[in-house]
Amino acid sequence: MILSIAWRNVWRNKVRSIIMIVAIALGLTAGVFATAFMLGAVESRIESATRTELAHLQVHAPRFMDNNETGLFISNAGELTQKINQLAEVDAACYRLIAEPFIMAAHGTGGGKMLGIVPEMEKEVTNISQKLVDGTYLEKNSRMPPVLIGEKLAKKLKLKVGSKLNVQMVDMNGDLSSKGYRVSGIYRTVNTGFDETNLFVLYDDLKKQLGLHGDVAHEIAMICDDANTVDDVKTKVQQLAGNDDVKTWKEISPEMSILTESMDQYMYIFILIILLGLCFGIVNTMLMAVLERTKEIGMLMAVGMNKRKVFGMIMLESVMLTLTGGLLGVLTGSLITRYFETRPIDVSAFSEGLEKYGYATKVYTALQPNTLVIITILVILTGIISAVYPARKALKLNPAEATRTE
Amino acid sequence: MKIIEIKNLHKIYNSDSVAVHAVNGIDVSFEEGEFTAIVGPSGSGKTTLLNIIGGLDDATEGSVEIEGIKINELSARKLTDFRMKNIGFVFQAYNLIPVLTAKENVEFIMHLQGRNKADREARTSELLKAVGLGEMMDRRPSKLSGGQQQRVAVARALASKPKFVLADEPTANLDSHSTENLLDIMEQLNKEEKITFIFSTHDQRVVNKARRVITIEDGKIISDISK
Repeated sequence: MILSIAWRNVWRNKVRSIIMIVAIALGLTAGVFATAFMLGAVESRIESATRTELAHLQVHAPRFMDNNETGLFISNAGELTQKINQLAEVDAACYRLIAEPFIMAAHGTGGGKMLGIVPEMEKEVTNISQKLVDGTYLEKNSRMPPVLIGEKLAKKLKLKVGSKLNVQMVDMNGDLSSKGYRVSGIYRTVNTGFDETNLFVLYDDLKKQLGLHGDVAHEIAMICDDANTVDDVKTKVQQLAGNDDVKTWKEISPEMSILTESMDQYMYIFILIILLGLCFGIVNTMLMAVLERTKEIGMLMAVGMNKRKVFGMIMLESVMLTLTGGLLGVLTGSLITRYFETRPIDVSAFSEGLEKYGYATKVYTALQPNTLVIITILVILTGIISAVYPARKALKLNPAEATRTE
Repeated sequence: MKIIEIKNLHKIYNSDSVAVHAVNGIDVSFEEGEFTAIVGPSGSGKTTLLNIIGGLDDATEGSVEIEGIKINELSARKLTDFRMKNIGFVFQAYNLIPVLTAKENVEFIMHLQGRNKADREARTSELLKAVGLGEMMDRRPSKLSGGQQQRVAVARALASKPKFVLADEPTANLDSHSTENLLDIMEQLNKEEKITFIFSTHDQRVVNKARRVITIEDGKIISDISK
């Protein structure tokens, strides 16, 4: 019955309650949507990082990652890649050579990271082949070996498809090696930093320039069927790789890992700030509700409703008011989020800043059901916290005086 | 049988450093089945006396015993529980819960007592019929006249089967017809069900119906007449 009274009390002053419910609903709609937007942006960044840049797991020779030393390579790389490919949880694996060259073009120079890849294998692991904005994916159209460069680097060095560039690097023997390449294609990812520094050439061309021989590679990259099984797959790959280092994308790029792990915290802080703002409105509404009912609350205490029940009734009213607005907001926010799950939000107006940090300019919202559950729990807690002051005010009433209040 | 015994009761209010002796050494007792009016001018202390008997206010000195229990020695929680089980209240301004129907208002106190639904419904129906509102059970207070609301309040006061009912100026907001009607109902309940009623009132019609009239002035009983 107290539940029923509390619910009816919420609707005693309809206009006031509706204003508060709408305010809560709007606040949470914005909160849920903004959360889904941020999560979508981060998921897109992770997708980009794993599908374009890092893959899920990488194998390197011990200490290679310290300074990309040419001599620290994986022996029998092809054989190991084949074994990794046979693991049920692995979708695809490929091997690469890596060098850190000095690039010279007609209109400028620069440094970067050159990856020697086997195009057909690489296609199965990363999606660089789908990011072409001009030219071909390392197709040999001239006597010079082809190179695939990022749009940002192309603009910086004023290169286009067909342009020549000279690449210098230290080879296996410690000698300076220089070789000319012709731009066969230009790619563009969502990460301009990646585009500016990463060049792709054919595995055999780089192997030759580095003076390497045999079935060697600096890196084996792989994509798992399920991103959540990466840690389990790592154990299996480590068994195959022997002394070589196996690292997950989170270990290779800890800042990405921090980003995903701190994202939840940022989201809840954001929601908490919204709820804190709403808290003041709820306290005000509940305080008015209590002060208007001084006589009635005095009567309830007089006839034997103990303080615990009076406190509980006011708490319930506050929670019901907050939860009504909260659920409405969560529902509206979820519907809007769902709409933008399949229709991207274009934030290209901020493309320069976003792409610099590897974020896409088209964001698909993403929201996990457990986030909605946690938001709902936070809403209930807000209702409870907001009711404490008004409820304590009610408990301080003297029933004898309260029942005679005009 | 004596149900209320008050000994050497004092209540002093300290306002603006002036001590006001609202109740000044009252000794009185009430028997079961009484229909008593406490009268006196405004500020004489009759409402304060009623509040202390009902456990809504503390005495500065003295004691109030209800069937041998000194209520001024009970903890706040036990006192609330005691009120719920033993005392019925009728207020001047009815003080019904506006969001509940007449039936729910009467049922509410039985709900607090933890009585089962069938018991609650039977008692509510019985009481509302007794106060002549059997046809208006599902109306909210806003759809009832002042007299009807006060009759619901009487039914509510009796719902918990209290040892006695304290009615503070119950007719002050009613017209003469409603007053007569309400008093007849309470007198009938008093006679037929032996329910003890103690009123504080200015209303001569209540005084006329009462079988015992206690007059208070300046916090002291100046007369106590049984008819």
